[in-house]
Amino acid sequence: MSLLHVLFKVAGAEYALPYSGVLLMESYTGSTRVPGAPPHVAGLMQVRGRVLPVIDLRVRFGLERQPVTPDSRVVVVQAGPRALALLADSAREVVKIDPESYRPAPEMVAESGQGFVKSVAHAGSRLVMLIDLDKVIGEERIHGS
Amino acid sequence: MSGPVDLAQFLGGFLVEADENLRLAGRNMLSVEHDLKQGLPSPRAVRDLYRSMHTIKGLAAMVGVEPIVELAHAMEAVLRDADRRGGRLPANALEGLLAALRAIEERVAALARGATVAEAPRPLLERLSDLGPLPGQPAAAARASIDLPAEIAGKLGESEWTQLAGSGDGRRAVRIDFIPSTARAAEGLTITGVRERIGALGEIVKVVPLSRPADAQTPGGLVFALLVLTAAPDEALAGAAGVRVEEVRLLRPASPVVAAEEPLEDSGASRGVVRVDVSRLDDALEKLSALVVTRFRLGRAVAELAAAGADVRALQQIVLENGRQLRDLRGAIMRARMIRAREMLERVPLLVRGLARSTSKEVVLDLDAGKAELDKAVAERVFPAIVHLVRNAVDHGAEPPAERERAGKPRAAALRVSCFERSSTQLELTIEDDGPGIDAEALARRAGREVPGNEEALLALLTVPGLTTRDAATATSGRGLGMNIVKRTIVDDLGGEIVLRTARGRGTTFVLRIPLSITIIDAFSFRCGQQPFVVPVALVEEIVEVNPTDITRAPSGPGRAELRMLDRRGAAVPLVNLESVFHLEPEAGARRKAIVVRRNGQPFAFEVDQMLGQQEVVVRPLQDPLVRRPGIVGSTDLGNGQPTLVLDLISLAHNLSRRRGDVRA
Repeated sequence: MSLLHVLFKVAGAEYALPYSGVLLMESYTGSTRVPGAPPHVAGLMQVRGRVLPVIDLRVRFGLERQPVTPDSRVVVVQAGPRALALLADSAREVVKIDPESYRPAPEMVAESGQGFVKSVAHAGSRLVMLIDLDKVIGEERIHGS
Repeated sequence: MSGPVDLAQFLGGFLVEADENLRLAGRNMLSVEHDLKQGLPSPRAVRDLYRSMHTIKGLAAMVGVEPIVELAHAMEAVLRDADRRGGRLPANALEGLLAALRAIEERVAALARGATVAEAPRPLLERLSDLGPLPGQPAAAARASIDLPAEIAGKLGESEWTQLAGSGDGRRAVRIDFIPSTARAAEGLTITGVRERIGALGEIVKVVPLSRPADAQTPGGLVFALLVLTAAPDEALAGAAGVRVEEVRLLRPASPVVAAEEPLEDSGASRGVVRVDVSRLDDALEKLSALVVTRFRLGRAVAELAAAGADVRALQQIVLENGRQLRDLRGAIMRARMIRAREMLERVPLLVRGLARSTSKEVVLDLDAGKAELDKAVAERVFPAIVHLVRNAVDHGAEPPAERERAGKPRAAALRVSCFERSSTQLELTIEDDGPGIDAEALARRAGREVPGNEEALLALLTVPGLTTRDAATATSGRGLGMNIVKRTIVDDLGGEIVLRTARGRGTTFVLRIPLSITIIDAFSFRCGQQPFVVPVALVEEIVEVNPTDITRAPSGPGRAELRMLDRRGAAVPLVNLESVFHLEPEAGARRKAIVVRRNGQPFAFEVDQMLGQQEVVVRPLQDPLVRRPGIVGSTDLGNGQPTLVLDLISLAHNLSRRRGDVRA
């Protein structure tokens, strides 16, 4: 059975998240820097009254930070009790993907991607990556800093 | 001279008392109106209103606010008169009283804001004094209500009628007929003796001699009718006059005792309730924070002991227990700040009534405040939003009666305002009308936007600043700034949410979900590294100018924030650049200010770009571990929709010096 997925782009590559875990998508115009927060935390933004940390996916994926563009979007996700905003270069599509068609990410990709990419799938003819949300928003670096 | 100091001291108390009495008065006013519609008197509500006005007058006189004294006095006069007539208020008095009540409310609000209190409006005062007790009014009332035969009534003058009308002293008016006879005179019963004895039991208004045909009953052909005001029992009166008890005839029942000094039956004191200024509770909370800091230090000291090899198990237990107790104490103080949602919504009925009247609509309000409680500070912030939504509901959400009938609806529009505790942290407030619903297309046209596809998008459109659904702003529903302010208050300021449901022809519902309590602090806002921050005023010892001549550079190791010393009245205070601590881009231009805090008794200064101001802010804790950093206690919204960080410079200073210590070790 096909399920809805939100597609978003980071540095030209396409990623997907199951729609069920996504609260909403919003355009992004900037956030309040939080001194001392991990580098991939772009800052705080207020979304519908909630103050959420924004995770810059570019930085998280080991890429250069980029200036905000009119296409910049945040995908607000719920992970257990936490709600966070994921900053992507763009996000506007919702597509159907059958979870049965998920395939494990090639080993090289999984390794170089620090485990952020869980699996790959096809949205139509396009190859998209499914991210491991817990790993991406993880806080493993905080306590060591 | 006991001038301004005393005033300021009383003002807080006055505002609290006045507020309470105004609320009570609003409620009673509605109940009077309700009775009036059914042609009933409202003895209790009128009495309570009278007392409320009497209290407000007294308090206002104490703080010297003459316009309020005048208004309350004028209302009091009308109400006293109505009270004497058993709670019968002239039908034409209600509007004037309501207008005066509003005028008092406005003036109390102005006083609370520190604004100038406007003069009492003369036309209103005159209107009320026209309703007040005219010289002949009680007399006329007595004439109308006291049943006396013409032979007696005709002999009574104006002042005697006024006396009989009563004056709220608890006495009733009775008539006792004394029939003189030689037999009675032999028993010592003469009119002179009767006069004396009755006079001792009450006040004789008049003795009217009535001539009768001489017969067995009236052998002398004469009867004396004694009109008496008395509180004595009938038996005593009968005994004094030498007549049977049945012959003491009641003319007017005892007027209720009017004693404004007497406490209200349901006043706080009798319920074991103490009214406390919120600032005192805040003060207690602040003292508690100091305790919490001490506990942290205690915990650290224990940890150090443990590190040095001491056996601290017993001590650790105590520290843990102490921590729990502190949390409990904090909870107890927070609960003391809670007020009942019912209190917050108490003014809604009066508001709806006024709105329905001014828009010529019929509205039936169903108010269900439930048992929920919320923090007073939250209630104060939420209430204006409720007022706005209720206004909208009457103005836009209730069709005129004729239009409703055409649409097959009851003439009177139904407005339901309800609230309940949704969870242990959230209150849900619903404002629901059965009106025409929101015309999304018309709204979109007016705003020049796309037609919203769902209710969420419609709400977003409604809360766009400056949007209005009417060509001309109506008297009641302002100019469309309102919904934006509702959103700002509920969502941005308090961190709540708004849900909109609307159906064409069937009605609109706004659901507000608001936190039951919030943390509000008095804070300084400042800029540093091109970013605004706020810091609680309570943690700041001083803000000083930074003159380059007062600064001495101290040696510091590579890669560390530069440490300097500030010469503060001869004492060297460590000074750090907040932007270098936070690794922020420096702002071009000269540095200006340093915020001095005290850590373990030692001053510590943070240099910042520019102080922006001081204001009360709502602090929202940062819960996500990704953004919980030392020295950052939460975020707030300074009004630009962007989160602004709330800093705890003391723990930041602590963190800095500990880091330095670590490097040294």
